[in-house]
Amino acid sequence: MSFFETYGDRLITAFQIHLFYVLTSVVIGFVIALLLGILLSRVPQYAKVVMPLLSVFQTIPGIVFIGILFLYLGMIPATVISALAVYAIFPILKNTYTGLLDVKKEYIEAAKGCGMTPLQTLIEVELPLASPSIITGLRMSTIYTVSWAVLAAMIGLGGLGEFIYIGIASNNDQLILAGAIPSAIMAIILSLLIDVLRRAVVPKGIRSVK
Amino acid sequence: MIRFENVNKKYGNSVILDDLNFNIEAGEFVVLIGPSGCGKTTTLKSINRLIKPDQGKIFVNGQEISQVNPVKLRRKIGYVIQQIGLFPNMTIEQNIGVVPKRLKYDKKEIQKITRDLMEMVDMSYEEYAHKYPSELSGGQQQRIGVLRALAASPPIVLMDEPFGALDPMTRATLQKEIANLHKKLKKTIVFVTHDMNEALDLADKIVFMEHGKIVQMATPEEMLANPASPLIRDFMRKSALAADTLNLTAADFLSANVISVQKKKSIRECTDLMARHHIDSLVIKNEDQTYAGVVTIKDIKKHGKSSGVIGEIEPYQNITSDILENAKDSFDKLYSSGDNYVVVLNNDQTIAGIITKTSMATAMADTLWGDMQ
Ligand SMILES: Nc1ncnc2c1ncn2[C@@H]1O[C@H](COP(=O)(O)OP(=O)(O)O)[C@@H](O)[C@H]1O
Ligand SMILES: [Mg+2]
Repeated sequence: MSFFETYGDRLITAFQIHLFYVLTSVVIGFVIALLLGILLSRVPQYAKVVMPLLSVFQTIPGIVFIGILFLYLGMIPATVISALAVYAIFPILKNTYTGLLDVKKEYIEAAKGCGMTPLQTLIEVELPLASPSIITGLRMSTIYTVSWAVLAAMIGLGGLGEFIYIGIASNNDQLILAGAIPSAIMAIILSLLIDVLRRAVVPKGIRSVK
Repeated sequence: MIRFENVNKKYGNSVILDDLNFNIEAGEFVVLIGPSGCGKTTTLKSINRLIKPDQGKIFVNGQEISQVNPVKLRRKIGYVIQQIGLFPNMTIEQNIGVVPKRLKYDKKEIQKITRDLMEMVDMSYEEYAHKYPSELSGGQQQRIGVLRALAASPPIVLMDEPFGALDPMTRATLQKEIANLHKKLKKTIVFVTHDMNEALDLADKIVFMEHGKIVQMATPEEMLANPASPLIRDFMRKSALAADTLNLTAADFLSANVISVQKKKSIRECTDLMARHHIDSLVIKNEDQTYAGVVTIKDIKKHGKSSGVIGEIEPYQNITSDILENAKDSFDKLYSSGDNYVVVLNNDQTIAGIITKTSMATAMADTLWGDMQ
């Protein structure tokens, strides 16, 4: 019996679950990170304290964090998704914050001088100019999350991690690869999709600047 | 139209605006000038509330501006910032349309305004309206910066050194354009510069500032005739100098007592002449007095014979320059050619003189510090 006949269905389900974890957590993380990044960029004096704290938080191993959430939330997808979302936040937050702070003061002053409200300035000038940086953060987060999502299997919640854990436990290289290769493919496809998104989002006038 | 009453501004302990009082009439072109850091930008930004004075009142159109919503105020005051500040993410049309869009003009109207304004500064709508600022030259960007400020026809326009970063040619063109726009559109313009020529050319009234105070507010004629302080006089003198320097030609730099000889002169006489004048080359003339070239003492030595005439030696084609050529170009030639001097020719190709490094330095010193002779 070939490998695919035995595992094919399980592999497809695992891929779908994995993708579901990645997409939901990145979307949630992105929204939170964007809002938080904008907020912090309005008060850089506080951001100087908050950002380093968050980056320390980022160094807590994912496995510990999922473990703790597992104790409180139990064995439900929300546990995995919230843990992954928390990890997805940081790269996007950092890039949103620095992207916004890097917008030259002259543009903000010109916007004010043209009678734009602070919200209009943010939406029409600052965010478009920071968009290359924000998208770069999104891409980093997405790629990380694809690999972090392997941890879901640790608390029995499926995804491609299942194959890897079983493979390691039973010393079966084929199973390990059956988990690892689709993960890699997923990461590649998602980052290609983000490149498409970048073209759509980053204004033409600043594309050469990257 | 714009009135300052006892306006004061401090940053920490340093006084930036020191009790400013002045009045600008509707339709006036007022130029703020003064040394760097004297408070010109601060004054300008107080008018559209980008900066809030610590004390005093500013009236625009009879209204005390601290009582006016700043966003509404700014939509009625065009503003050209010092660094141009075109939004790089927007096309030229979108940049020009920024304020009209806020004021809810419809798309057609914005397009028409953009087209008309671009026409006024000789930029084709078809060619440029859909480009991005990074695709334009500095001068073009600066024009668009001005047009953006004019788009919603504000009665008042503030301009902060709008032409500071441009080359003299482009600046002169834009100065003309802005003077025309002012004539045509009859706006009240407050214009900051540190260039006295610009001020004298453009202003109905010049406000000269120093250390946050107004030293003199007067028409250009009045300021030229009666500068109120030594610093103002100094500004005037320097600007006159700068204007002159632009117009200097090779004629202003040449030394006329050049030793030149006809081709038929004997070589022996030529070497005597060189020895007597302590020079190592002679400028050679044709029969009809036109320039033929240069012969050096080395050329003569190489030739070997001291009998015969100098015309037998093939003269070296030294670098030359037309007498009406811009002095800067002659200067560049002198340095890039490696020749010891530039031979300056009259229109009829006769020799007017030579420019040497020494004659250059002397002439420069003359211009800077007065006649050295
Ligand atoms: N935000 C600020 N904080 C402290 N000092 C400032 C600030 N902005 C301007 N200044 C100072 O105020 C003075 C006047 O500045 P400015 O109005 O920009 O001068 P100008 O436009 O005439 O060159 C300068 O000495 C400058 O250093
Ligand atoms: Mg200034």
